[in-house]
Amino acid sequence: MRVTFHGVRGSIPAPGPETNRYGGNTSCVSVRGAGGELVILDMGTGLVGLGKELMAQEFGRGAGAATVLLSHAHWDHIQGFPFFAPAFVPGNSFRVHGMARSSSLLEGILEGQMNPSYSPISSLRNLGATIELVAVTTGMPFDLGGGISVCAALNPHGSTAALAFRIEQAGRSVVYAPDVGYPDGGPSAEVLALYRGADLLIHDCTYTPADRAERRTRGYSSYADAADAAARAGVAQLAMFHYDQDYGDDVVDELARACRAELDHRGATACTLTAAREGMTLEV
Amino acid sequence: MKVRFWGVRGSIPVPGPRTNRYGGNTSCVAVRSPGGTDVVLDAGTGLRKLGQELMQRGFGEGKGEAHLLISHTHWDHIQGLPFFAPLHKAGNQFCVYARERAGTPLRSVIATQYDDPYFAVPFDAVKADVDFRELGDGARFELGDVRVSSARLNHPWIATAYRLDSGPASSPASMVYATDTAPFRDILFGEAVAAPPASGAALPAVDVARLGELRASLIDLCRGAQVLVHDAQFTDAEYRERPHWGHSTPDDAIDIALAAGVKTLVLFHHAPERGDDELDLVLAAARARAAGSGLEVLAAHEGLEFDLAERA
Repeated sequence: MRVTFHGVRGSIPAPGPETNRYGGNTSCVSVRGAGGELVILDMGTGLVGLGKELMAQEFGRGAGAATVLLSHAHWDHIQGFPFFAPAFVPGNSFRVHGMARSSSLLEGILEGQMNPSYSPISSLRNLGATIELVAVTTGMPFDLGGGISVCAALNPHGSTAALAFRIEQAGRSVVYAPDVGYPDGGPSAEVLALYRGADLLIHDCTYTPADRAERRTRGYSSYADAADAAARAGVAQLAMFHYDQDYGDDVVDELARACRAELDHRGATACTLTAAREGMTLEV
Repeated sequence: MKVRFWGVRGSIPVPGPRTNRYGGNTSCVAVRSPGGTDVVLDAGTGLRKLGQELMQRGFGEGKGEAHLLISHTHWDHIQGLPFFAPLHKAGNQFCVYARERAGTPLRSVIATQYDDPYFAVPFDAVKADVDFRELGDGARFELGDVRVSSARLNHPWIATAYRLDSGPASSPASMVYATDTAPFRDILFGEAVAAPPASGAALPAVDVARLGELRASLIDLCRGAQVLVHDAQFTDAEYRERPHWGHSTPDDAIDIALAAGVKTLVLFHHAPERGDDELDLVLAAARARAAGSGLEVLAAHEGLEFDLAERA
């Protein structure tokens, strides 16, 4: 699998020279399977750039299909959707798996984003592509075709929750866990099982431990929380993700150094550490 | 009046090295009157950093007061609000103004942006006092020492242009903020979804007449203003492709500025795909077009600021 980061920022896009290196777009990651299958993780503003790239391929001809795995519907995870060019091309199809009690409620959430008060698109029905909404059942693996299987678990995220996804193909595994604020005991057993032994864990790394302590109720992780989860689950590689909008590139450099030290301190010296940045591709 | 641009972009924020000079944040302009009245024009993502600056003033102590004039509630004009730090400080007072919509209270439009499942902090938990005023087309009112007048623009869902006047008759200061709008020529926008016009079909006479009235009312609003900040999102080719999106070209903005006898035109609401170097070319072309007319043309960039008293 080929994993590419299109947006690595949390909460709100952060334009400006201070974010040039890591990037200021909100959460969006793509995973290309060995057979060319496309899985899109979240639809923050990073989705806009991915959409432009896709238009040069089969999506430009209305012959594209992709799966979207939506961790939750906070703005920074859906705000790229109305500007995703392939969604406007008839013939393309997208199946969006997200967190809701039912598929029609999930549709209502994305429909609300397009409401005429907020967007000239007015309704999902005005998008040319076929959009299918599916409510995720946690703990129940589902198949995307091409030998790709996905399993989801629920993580606490402030006053709400967010899904973490494990994507497997041909014995390789990528886990995507944005937006999580663990209780004092750390990840639940179910979540640790989802992370266990992953080749790549993309994990929330919004804060320094000091900022996290001050903003605990917001439901995000510090680099220490990310390192702890990675060490406990025995993952091969940890990618730091979802940086706070006020952290410039130099701060993220510092987070990465400190996160390495946390991993080593926990005995996870063999775990590779990567600070995700826009445009970066990792082969799994 | 002192004016500072915090977000100049349309549609969606565009981070990255290509937008470092003009800036990638969506629409937000701050105005401070000689009497100390704070007026904020639109609440795109530029609002976040304006909020950080305001927190260094009275807003950090919960003693701030500001008026937010919203052109319309499309995302790029309100998406900074949840990240506006002064809203989360008790004691601050805000009033949000936008066009009245039948059956859609302004408060609920703004509150929905905060509520589950879209955001973590419900609007009811905002600590500052926030009031809402819904405006009829052409509304006029006063905010401290600032006189506000308005006109209806030609945009899907309908947007509002605001004129701010302040200062004594001996040194009046005036600016107009007019975004988002299409030119008043090919489509009459309302609250319904706009479709591309049928090619070659003539507009109904009633639409032509209404567009003429809207154009005249915008020119009246801009008449003699020192500064006009105007939608200039599209190139000519982009406009021909997407006339139903409701945005103008620099030529359309120059047309209104010249008709109204404005001194300075500020091109605004830049397309998200337009990099800095392209915007330089857009500005150069607009200046060439306005050459000899006496109209000064600027392109808005984050951090652009001026004092209207010094431009009289």
